[in-house]
Amino acid sequence: MNLKTPFLIKRLLAVSFLLLLLIFVAMFLGLSLGSTKTGLNEVLKSLLRREDADPVLNTIIWNIRFPRVLLAALVGATLSLGGLVFQALLRNPLAEPYILGISGGAAIGAIIGILMGLSRFPGVSFISFMGSIATLLLILVMSSGQSILKKDSLLLSGVMINAFCSAIIMFLISMTQDYRLHNIIFWLMGDLSMAAIRQTVILTAILFPCYILIFWLSHSMNLLLMGKEMAQTMGVNIKAVTVTLLLTTSFMVSATVSHCGLIGFVGLVMPHLLRLLFGPDHRVLVPACVMGGGAYMVLCDLLARTLPEQGEMPAGVITAIIGAPIFIFLLKRSRQ
Amino acid sequence: MKYRYLIIISLIILGISIPVKGQSASRNVIDQLGRQVTLPYDPQRVVALAPSITEIIFALEQEHRLKGVTRFSDFPTEATKLPKVGSYVHLDLERIVALKPDLCIAIKDGNPREVANLLESYNIPVYAVDPINWSGIIETVLEIGWLLNSEEKAKILTQNMRSRIQRVKSLVKKADYRPRVFFQIGISPIVSVGTGTFIHELIVLAGGRNLAVGAFQYPRFSREQVLELSPEVIIITSMVKTDAFERMKSEWNLWTNIPAVKNQRIHCLDSAIFNRPTPRLVNGLEQLARIIHPELFEGE
Repeated sequence: MNLKTPFLIKRLLAVSFLLLLLIFVAMFLGLSLGSTKTGLNEVLKSLLRREDADPVLNTIIWNIRFPRVLLAALVGATLSLGGLVFQALLRNPLAEPYILGISGGAAIGAIIGILMGLSRFPGVSFISFMGSIATLLLILVMSSGQSILKKDSLLLSGVMINAFCSAIIMFLISMTQDYRLHNIIFWLMGDLSMAAIRQTVILTAILFPCYILIFWLSHSMNLLLMGKEMAQTMGVNIKAVTVTLLLTTSFMVSATVSHCGLIGFVGLVMPHLLRLLFGPDHRVLVPACVMGGGAYMVLCDLLARTLPEQGEMPAGVITAIIGAPIFIFLLKRSRQ
Repeated sequence: MKYRYLIIISLIILGISIPVKGQSASRNVIDQLGRQVTLPYDPQRVVALAPSITEIIFALEQEHRLKGVTRFSDFPTEATKLPKVGSYVHLDLERIVALKPDLCIAIKDGNPREVANLLESYNIPVYAVDPINWSGIIETVLEIGWLLNSEEKAKILTQNMRSRIQRVKSLVKKADYRPRVFFQIGISPIVSVGTGTFIHELIVLAGGRNLAVGAFQYPRFSREQVLELSPEVIIITSMVKTDAFERMKSEWNLWTNIPAVKNQRIHCLDSAIFNRPTPRLVNGLEQLARIIHPELFEGE
């Protein structure tokens, strides 16, 4: 961590303030809107003076919407940060946990865990982590050596691994012949509706150290992007930094996937948008991704649960509808 | 002086007895999954978390207690007018809580366990039922009757169910042959029902032989396998009578060497009667018996 660059602290503070404001607005919207219509006054009352508010509304806001909004923020932050790290390490602007197949590997692990009847944490999360590490190794082996720098070979490996993962997932689903099926399908497309306060707090406790670790390594990420020789002369232990970042990211992603399923393209949309706005310095981008990604996901989830008249749609549908066109746009631009 | 003490003492007794009365308005019960649930003696705001539970509550004539139902609760038609709380596999927690229920009745086969746990963490009692066969259904009707203080009605209902089942049983006993039945609940893929489901029990009770017996509850079949089993009766159930099911029927009709096709014994039935563990299942049983053994019902 090197904070000596002029104006860095000021820029960091300004960006953080702006994005904190954004995430607070997003979370406030997330807490005040839902399938039951409530007036803004009552919502404010429940948020500020909990004792005076209607107990039913308190339960809805604090026990149903709050864990969900918090989970969405964590998922968005983790996936955006995952995208940012992969883009830096693989030096590929199109890298993202979902596109690379890391999420898919985590999903296979999580489904196996669910079918084995394990609890969400630590059982399902652990198997899911193993799945994501397995796909990560596969990606690194497949696109090893110099070719890792080439966008297309990496993307193609990712596409193939994703296809392979979805085949395995379909296989597992077709072998399941009972009511768990419906849950798995909904979960696969990104389902945040089962957020419970305890699990979300545990998840927060797991993820925050990861965010801090990545922030601590953010300057190394800057140097890595300048080239290996450059980074080495600047005193970066390339191997240690790369391994730490890859493991931490896979761990974060699998922890969130095992909670809420496959949510794609968040790691693509947010890092690019934030890079456009705030420049390429990772010391700014890491906290920006945590807050901006969180806010983005909270808003996507809000759309997912308020758009349909009856029931709700999986949050992954919204992120993919927004994200896939942006992916194509970026791919086209990077070709030129 | 004497009176003053008397008044004070009686006031104290009154003071103690009021909270005691408040406490006694709830009771501890064990539900069908063996979970302990604390629920009111006289629940006034019940949310039924599955269409079958809605049907049972209506059959018990306790619908005035019912404040919320799930999306596909379509029987009786009055049930469709009640507020919806999502579909029974994907419940909308927020809407359930907003209805301020003092009792939610859940079904093990379908309602996610997490929902029950979450509801209980908000202090909403969840009573879970798990009817897996006839005796389970009868027990469930009796239990829900007991929970909703309409034990008499539940007794009458279950008596009626028992005697109608008995009647089918004694009729079927006269039959000397059990036709091979293929009961199709899914079109693409072709899904049937195996042992350990109440449809299997219905087929056996109605005097048929279920071709899909086996370890899987809902086994899948290829067209080839069905042809090889050579069913004598094919029953296709559907949520709504859409074209898809009629098309399936005409597709089976192409295979004229299947006995069921040769003798025109392919039937499309309303699935709601067959896949909901409710008193209406007896209608399903009678319907099925008529289809499998029409000769026994001649002259009625």
